[in-house]
Amino acid sequence: MNNHFGNLFLLSYRGFKQFKSSSLVASFSIAIAGGLFLSTLKVKEGAENSFTHSSGGFNAVLGARGSSLQLVLNSIFHLEASPGNLDWEEYELIKSTRGVSEAYPIAVGDNYMGYRLVGTLSELFLEHEWKIGNKYKIEKGRIFSDSAKEALVGKFVASKLGLKIGDKFHPYHGLTFRESSKHDDIYVVVGILEATGTPADKVIWVPIKGIQHMEGHAQEYLNSVSAVLLNLKGIREPMDLYSKYNRRSNEATLVWPINKTIADFFKRLTWFEKILQWVAYMIGLMSCMLVLAILQNSINERKREFAILRCLGASRSFLVQVVMSQSIIISMLGGLGSLIIYFTTSSLSSYYIREETGVLLEPFHIDITYVFVFLSIILLGLISAILPSFSVYRVDINKNLQHAS
Amino acid sequence: MSLLEVNRLEKSFLSPEGENFKVVSVDSFLLNHSEFCGMMGESGSGKTTFLHLLAGILTPDTGSIKLDGQDLTKLNVVKRDYFRTSSIGYIFQSFNLLQGLTCLENLKLPMYFSSKFDEEYAEELLVRVGLEDRISYRPSQLSIGQQQRVALARALVSKPKLVLADEPTGNLDANNATKAIDLLCELCRETKTALLAVTHDERVIENFDQKINFQDINHQD
Repeated sequence: MNNHFGNLFLLSYRGFKQFKSSSLVASFSIAIAGGLFLSTLKVKEGAENSFTHSSGGFNAVLGARGSSLQLVLNSIFHLEASPGNLDWEEYELIKSTRGVSEAYPIAVGDNYMGYRLVGTLSELFLEHEWKIGNKYKIEKGRIFSDSAKEALVGKFVASKLGLKIGDKFHPYHGLTFRESSKHDDIYVVVGILEATGTPADKVIWVPIKGIQHMEGHAQEYLNSVSAVLLNLKGIREPMDLYSKYNRRSNEATLVWPINKTIADFFKRLTWFEKILQWVAYMIGLMSCMLVLAILQNSINERKREFAILRCLGASRSFLVQVVMSQSIIISMLGGLGSLIIYFTTSSLSSYYIREETGVLLEPFHIDITYVFVFLSIILLGLISAILPSFSVYRVDINKNLQHAS
Repeated sequence: MSLLEVNRLEKSFLSPEGENFKVVSVDSFLLNHSEFCGMMGESGSGKTTFLHLLAGILTPDTGSIKLDGQDLTKLNVVKRDYFRTSSIGYIFQSFNLLQGLTCLENLKLPMYFSSKFDEEYAEELLVRVGLEDRISYRPSQLSIGQQQRVALARALVSKPKLVLADEPTGNLDANNATKAIDLLCELCRETKTALLAVTHDERVIENFDQKINFQDINHQD
């Protein structure tokens, strides 16, 4: 205790201990406010970044006429139902169009235990880069043969369902699992994909012919695809294609660029983010008022102690520092709590998003925002301590020391 | 030259009726270096206010208080705080120990404020007042007599020139009161510190160099 900070800490910690319960409540509400604020800011940002970078290395998608968002969700993220089908000839046509560097057809409509089967061509796994410089890698086994009833299973599905090479399964019709909708076809697992942290991990890849010719499927499946995943190069050609499909024809929808559709989707969530942020501000304001009330009560209870300290030689500024330090203890606990709440929330969100979409969030990516929010909480704590500091500054030693004789 | 010189000291308070009530009006008061002075007087006669004025806790309306040549009334708050902690030790009737701190921590506080930090001396003083085995105890774990001994040690720990004691034995039984005052006098003698003690107990001041009835020097309204 032979230094300034030792004394300060001792006396401010004493104040904190004296009002331990209410101080902890204040810290907790600060933690909720900070945690909520950070979560609204970072989880959405993380999700938007991750979704934008999880387009599987494609920048466009061609599908049946309908909503762009539905088409992207269905073909890229393997969520939602397909807006409809395209003829195989559409795929052939766009594949040979100038400005199209890559085109892979996909067909959906079946699942196994709730995980969807996506039919495509084996060359997707041989030639396509799902991220710049990254082709798909096979963890075990091999890629399916385009003419066999074979399956290449995404890592997430393999782990969840415990599928291994040589396992056989019956696909189920539809995108949700219903026991009664079992197809007679039997597929054999021939490979497990290495994890990519993208929606590709969450599907069972099969030859497109498999979906087209699946027992029980309607005739129109035979010559159709659900969508065509594309990579368009240049600016002019994609714009011409965009105009051709979206303005001049009424049969198909070309989504280009995919990132814009994802960004538009997240923009639609802005109102919800704003509401949560306002809730965080309100809780933050209440927390500040709570800190103010606690400090004021603490001062009222400790006026005599402060008067003794003054009598022993403590300067007014020292007492102000004691009150400020007490506020810093409360807000530091709140700040740390904010980070804990945020990391818990983001881990849960990350887990939930991964379970639902296969997209891997990176919640623990450290940046300056955390420091900024933590310091802002401390600053707010200090602002809350301003009024109580005035009252401790004015503590009347004579009045607060016991009897007069 | 006297250690303490008080001249034409006046302090008034506003009464609930809104009238000015002169609590202290002392023309002159002197105390020499190492001198012991016992001050008696009726309750409400202004003794505590007088001590608070001498300690610089209160500022007078008029007059001067010179301690070792330094006029307290001319100092600003910050300088007065520093002067008080380095030159004056104060003993309260109710001891006023800080409950959350140990005996040793209570003792070290004034040292810290006066920048005369000497942990060894603080421990020595605790030994001197017979509390060497209570160093880490908190006030609530001590008897009343032991608390008073900590308060005595605290008043002397910064090696002040003057100790002001406000009813130092007021909360003690006769036996403990005699022991406490004997100990206080002994410590002050050893450290050549002047002592001004306000008391109601005549036995306490029978060995003091100077005995004053405060009403004789204070011309209250």
